[in-house]
Amino acid sequence: MKIAIIGANGFIGTRLVEHFHLGGLNEVAPIVRRPVSLALPARFAIDWRIGDALDANSLAQALAGCDAIVHAAIGDPRQIEAMPAILAEAAARAGIKRVVYLSTASVHGQSPEPGTNESSPLHTGHALEYNDAKIRAERSFHTACQRHGLAGFALRPGVVFGPRSRWITDLATDLRSGRAWLLDEGRGICNSIYVDNLVAAVEAALTADAKHAGAYLVGDEETVTWREFYGGVATALGIDPATIPPLKNIPDFTPGTAVRLQSLAATPAVQSVLPLVPGIAKRTVKNLLVAAQRPPAVDAWTLPAAPGPRVTQELVLLQQCRVKLPHTKAAQALNYRAPVTFATGLARSLAWLAFAEGRA
Amino acid sequence: MSSSSANAAPPIPVVLVGCGAVSQLFYLPTLRALRARGELAVHTLVDPSTAARGVLASAFPEARGCDALVNCDAPAGSLVIIATPPRFHAAQTLEAFSRGWHVLCEKPMASDTAECERMIAAARDAQRLLAVGLYKRFFPSSVYLKTIFDQGQLGALKRFTIAEGGPFRWPAATPSFFNKAQTPGGVLLDIGVHVLDLLLWWLGEPARFTYRDDAMGGLETNSVVDLHYANGAQGRVHLSRDWATANEYHFHFERGSVRWKTNDANGLTVELAGTPSALRGQLITPPSSSPAGDVLQPTNPQSFILQLSNVLGAIRGTDTVRVPGEEGLRSLRLIESCYRQRQWLEQPWFTEAEAQRARQLAAQP
Repeated sequence: MKIAIIGANGFIGTRLVEHFHLGGLNEVAPIVRRPVSLALPARFAIDWRIGDALDANSLAQALAGCDAIVHAAIGDPRQIEAMPAILAEAAARAGIKRVVYLSTASVHGQSPEPGTNESSPLHTGHALEYNDAKIRAERSFHTACQRHGLAGFALRPGVVFGPRSRWITDLATDLRSGRAWLLDEGRGICNSIYVDNLVAAVEAALTADAKHAGAYLVGDEETVTWREFYGGVATALGIDPATIPPLKNIPDFTPGTAVRLQSLAATPAVQSVLPLVPGIAKRTVKNLLVAAQRPPAVDAWTLPAAPGPRVTQELVLLQQCRVKLPHTKAAQALNYRAPVTFATGLARSLAWLAFAEGRA
Repeated sequence: MSSSSANAAPPIPVVLVGCGAVSQLFYLPTLRALRARGELAVHTLVDPSTAARGVLASAFPEARGCDALVNCDAPAGSLVIIATPPRFHAAQTLEAFSRGWHVLCEKPMASDTAECERMIAAARDAQRLLAVGLYKRFFPSSVYLKTIFDQGQLGALKRFTIAEGGPFRWPAATPSFFNKAQTPGGVLLDIGVHVLDLLLWWLGEPARFTYRDDAMGGLETNSVVDLHYANGAQGRVHLSRDWATANEYHFHFERGSVRWKTNDANGLTVELAGTPSALRGQLITPPSSSPAGDVLQPTNPQSFILQLSNVLGAIRGTDTVRVPGEEGLRSLRLIESCYRQRQWLEQPWFTEAEAQRARQLAAQP
């Protein structure tokens, strides 16, 4: 089977290419949008291709001769929503019948209700635009697959960690700079999935009976708390996990006027009329927005302070999660089993970090 | 940069071969700056792509356009700047010398050292100049480090670490950078040629070295070179197109250390042994030689301009080429030695089966 990997330069795409190419059982065709993104796929003598996940013509050409697709491309919310329909159309044009789309467990929110599974109703009233975009994208994916007669599998992984993952690199940076924190002593459940386990889920979806097409939650076998996740990384970096401070105050994440105006300016409707606005007016508004978001200047009489915690709304929500999302459906229908333990996955991720930092 | 000599002599005609990213980003402002000083005149822009030539042509409307160097009619004594992919360098350089032109060839000097040697011999036979675009030697920081290595103000060098690179962002118009048939090397050949050129210039040839990279049938994106020198100094060079490195050179001497951020043409951090703080600052002309006040030494773009000015000065006979072909050859020779001795760089997140297969792929020629 020749498998096209769309978004082959991302951290999941990179691992998919490594796995399939080095596994030797399947051929792989990494697809990236621009030549600049070929550095990692080009480590192999491999049939890489250039194709735009937002352009059905370009993508259909890049998919020629492939038997199945794994879609691992990322983008902003608007791009996320647009990609599935383009994907299905391009797949149909290329004569491909099976598509695995990487969705996310965040379609259930970062902190889902107990009992959540694939049949739980989804809503688009989440605090994070990303969640709503992925819900719309997944719906669009299934609709488009049905329209084009494709077997579409949407995988919903939680916190995907591994080599080149932000969950490893950002955490290492935060721990070293004293900006990491834990909420409620890290008792929240992080719904982790080591990237190789996601690769195993992809492989299972590629080989499952087409009648099982649908959405699947996938994760590590273990129930992992945020304290365990942070503790493992901290220990490997020589930092005592007991020194990770608690988050004392959850900030107000209500977007300010400047952020709301920027979001508004990015909408297609506003973008379409922007050319009619005089340049000087645009520059003035832009400068005002930048000035509004600039942190206050530090004067010479201020002593340097320790950096504060780096708090994102996503992480606050994730650390409040009390539910281990099940992958029972994937186990039953796809015969999914996570081949790598959390401890091994973390050790491999940290070995990559040492490699990337030239410590290997 | 001497302007008096330039103003006295007529501008040297320049032919720019290759109108891609390096020409648009680097040579366009450089040619513009030196044209304004009367040092050169842009005679011809050469590229098979009319669109690529167009960007340069709008900046130099007086220049002729040409699809191939062989069709160019610049007068003898002109300077040809070769900014094409490396596989074209040798043939274009030989063509230039056969027409009586001088050459400034972008790095890497050629696809291999055999081509370099042919280019050097052709320059000698034609009695023309062959310079190589290794402009980091023009950085005041590089010159400062060279002085410390040569004169030992901080004592002998003990060890060093160099980490350079990050996710590949060069605005390549085509995938040729990643096509092994068109480009013989990956990150080592790309940014490594600058790093190894500086090391060879600063420290001379290593007594021995080991080389590892992560290519598995394709082109490497991470490289590690461990070098040992006859005086006992040793160091590691880590290059990456994959992940952001520290982008820093760190040299430890007997009496202190120097840190240099990649591409910071006129800044260094110096730590003198036993002192409570390190000094980080920009390089200025010594106050003893600039009574009018502090003069900041050249920036990165200014160093690029200085490189071309150096070659133009050498053509006029007022200067000598700072990086001639023989020097350009040295780093390429070391790179070839690295590739000949290459070992697979362990990627510790691979499963055992994957690592075994990766080693097999890496061992294939």
